[in-house]
Amino acid sequence: MIVVKNLEKYYKIAKRDPGLRGAVKSLFHRKYETKKAVKRISMHIESGEMVGYIGANGAGKSTTIKMLTGILTPTSGEVKVNGIIPYENRKQNASHIGAVFGQRTQLFWDIPVRESYELLKHIYEIPQKQYEETLAEFVEVLHLEPLLGIPVRQLSLGQKMRCELAAAFLHRPKVVYLDEPTIGLDVAVKVRIRNFIKQMNARYGTTVLLTTHDMQDIEEICHRIIIIDDGSVIYDGSIQDIKAQFGDKRVIQFELEHSIDHFVLPEEIRSAAVVIPKTDEDHHVVSVSFSSKEISGAEVISCMMKHYPVLDLTIADAKIETIVEEIYSKGLKGRVQHEEIH
Amino acid sequence: MRKYIEFARVQMQVHAAYSAWFWANTFSVLLRMLVIYFFWKAVYSSRTEIEGLPFDSMITYIIIAMFLQMFVSGVGRELAHTIKDGNVAIELMRPYHLITRLIAMDIGDKIIHFIRGALPLGILAFIFMDITLPTTWQGGLLFLLSALMGIWIGTFFDLLIAILAFWTINLWGLEVMKEAVISFFSGALVPLILFPEWFQTVSLFLPFQAMVYVPVAIYTGILTGTEAWLALGSQVFWAVLLFVLLRVLWSIAIKKVTIFGG
Amino acid sequence: MLTRYLKLYYLFCKQNLKVMMEYRMDFLLGVLSVMLQQFAGIFFVKIVFDHIHQLNGWTFYEILFIYGIAATGRSIHHIFFDNLWTLGWQYIRPGKFDRLLIRPINPLFHFIADRLQQDGFGQLFIGIIVISTAMPHLDISWGVLEFFILIVMIIASGFIFVAINLFFATLSFWMVDSLPIVWTIFNLSDFARYPLTIYHKGIRHLLTWIIPYGFTAFYPAAYFIEGSGFQKLALLTPVVAIVSCVVAYWFWNKGLKAFTSTGS
Repeated sequence: MIVVKNLEKYYKIAKRDPGLRGAVKSLFHRKYETKKAVKRISMHIESGEMVGYIGANGAGKSTTIKMLTGILTPTSGEVKVNGIIPYENRKQNASHIGAVFGQRTQLFWDIPVRESYELLKHIYEIPQKQYEETLAEFVEVLHLEPLLGIPVRQLSLGQKMRCELAAAFLHRPKVVYLDEPTIGLDVAVKVRIRNFIKQMNARYGTTVLLTTHDMQDIEEICHRIIIIDDGSVIYDGSIQDIKAQFGDKRVIQFELEHSIDHFVLPEEIRSAAVVIPKTDEDHHVVSVSFSSKEISGAEVISCMMKHYPVLDLTIADAKIETIVEEIYSKGLKGRVQHEEIH
Repeated sequence: MRKYIEFARVQMQVHAAYSAWFWANTFSVLLRMLVIYFFWKAVYSSRTEIEGLPFDSMITYIIIAMFLQMFVSGVGRELAHTIKDGNVAIELMRPYHLITRLIAMDIGDKIIHFIRGALPLGILAFIFMDITLPTTWQGGLLFLLSALMGIWIGTFFDLLIAILAFWTINLWGLEVMKEAVISFFSGALVPLILFPEWFQTVSLFLPFQAMVYVPVAIYTGILTGTEAWLALGSQVFWAVLLFVLLRVLWSIAIKKVTIFGG
Repeated sequence: MLTRYLKLYYLFCKQNLKVMMEYRMDFLLGVLSVMLQQFAGIFFVKIVFDHIHQLNGWTFYEILFIYGIAATGRSIHHIFFDNLWTLGWQYIRPGKFDRLLIRPINPLFHFIADRLQQDGFGQLFIGIIVISTAMPHLDISWGVLEFFILIVMIIASGFIFVAINLFFATLSFWMVDSLPIVWTIFNLSDFARYPLTIYHKGIRHLLTWIIPYGFTAFYPAAYFIEGSGFQKLALLTPVVAIVSCVVAYWFWNKGLKAFTSTGS
């Protein structure tokens, strides 16, 4: 369904002084800086697959998605979605795809949701009967009934996102791109949205490419993940595989008596374990990750307790979250075989 | 006081950052000056004076009035938007008086506007367009005083209209309407003495002529002596009245926020 | 294809009108304010003509006629194409333009259809009143053909406004927001409210051959004014409109292409 071969996108960033004077000056004389947003990416996604496309901010996720949707023309390489080159046949491609771009609404701001759908029906030329069926189904699954009469601008974030999703799937697209569909939502809404996506995939065989920072989304929806870092694919495979490969991975969280600002791993375990960079503000907690094949948990714990006053400790599972976190921070460094892509 | 000076200073820097708009403004004013010049040149092509005004007095009046009109509106737009997007509630919690802060910003804006825009363009007009200086230095001083009053009146009127945003939505319409009324009655387009009798009588009872007509008429010598002082007196009257009116209307509007939540 | 777009436009319009009716008070305020604004300009001309009989050979009603055509033509732009003002700051800067690119319809069409500007009706209204006030005073007998030509001229005038704004709005694809430029160029149309003969030759040529605001009011009006000396040139108005639109649309497509390769 989606075929990407050696896809690259370089931006030329014109350096110029701000303002009109700068703009005029840059008409005659320009200095460029090249930024490589996407470097020789290849992937092959079958019809009906649900793939998680993940990476840190600025890794090249949205650039890739923009090229797949036809918004952006690649510097080089091949893209085909449903046999169509998106950036050459943008309109043709558009009628087979749906998209949700995070916080940016695809709906019409001032008019009631129902009227928005009505307009989309005409824009995508959805047959009346199919439209009615689809809408009835969505209204039920996403509980849209009470929202239909309200203008989009008056909806809460969660309500809006439910309406957005319905809009993205309304014309029964073959491929749907979801960019952070659950960001900022509460758990109940997240669950409802995940269920909806799974249902759509089961019923219509919709191919889904999902980017998210919420690993729960990935674990519940996707069977396969593609991890991108600094413009390159660093992992492409099933979630089970990555879990198996990192199955020996253990993470122990230590709560220390003193601030961890000057914390260093004890000498004895430094070769086998690493500290996971912190995401929260707690200055007394440190997470140490290691492979159980190389060192036992008991060894790590006793070594830590020997060097630091430990108040408490928690042993975490090999969650996809921790695995991905580590991949982001360390890279794969040959620990995972880079799968050859066809 | 210190903090308000700071607001004014920051506003000047903000202004300097929007240089695209600065050039757009400058260029547009130049264009308008050209239209005005050619239009009046054509008007005077077959006569030497209108209502006692020769060409150079007329063009002086029109150009000075055009410049002054740019200063008689104020920060009403900002106030209206603050009200509209609900930020007014937050602003009211801050340790300053919102209106005073806006006026301080406005002063900063106007100073930089004067230095970067009106002054160079004025000099240009002076060189190329037969603009004359006031006939007497007393007239010149009186003009400065009167112009400041006119700007004061315009600024307060602008804020007064902006408070109406509590009750309406279409800010753009409100703004355009205000602009139209001002250019209509203030004498920004032509000296009021060219208007029909009845119209001149009506505008005597409105604050608009105090914004532009009075100062520019003093500048060009249309108003002199006792007449000029009387006109200045009416300016004082309007300045005080609008100031009081603004305070009253603002406190009513604030009640609306604090009691009904905006 | 065409019928599909017409139908879509109708549907967009219907939605926009519904929104408009929701805020009836604002609709009235907007229309009224634009009318007042236009009226101020006309009143100015009237005041001046109280003291003179003609301006460089042009009578009051002739000037009024020019003014009316300018207002009516501009109203076409104001009502239907007002969204052009917002390309940079409401679409490109916040990333909303991407939405238009993933729809199976022409992005320019979608962009234009997104908004109907109520306030423009005030302009249309005043324009029609002014034209019909001036018409009987012109030295011409109004038959069906003259009416037809007048309507063609006004539509052409409207599309010249559209083309010029589209052209300069398109710059936003390269510089994020070209509004200051669009606005400055738009201000050039002030010249078009009066007979071009009162201006310096350079200005006249600029407004005829480079940024053709002259064809939005003066030349079309001159067609109906005996002995104006511009009747032949006036007939070019529809041609100028078509050429301007073609050029602007070509430029728009270039801008779009640049946008899709930089995605700024």
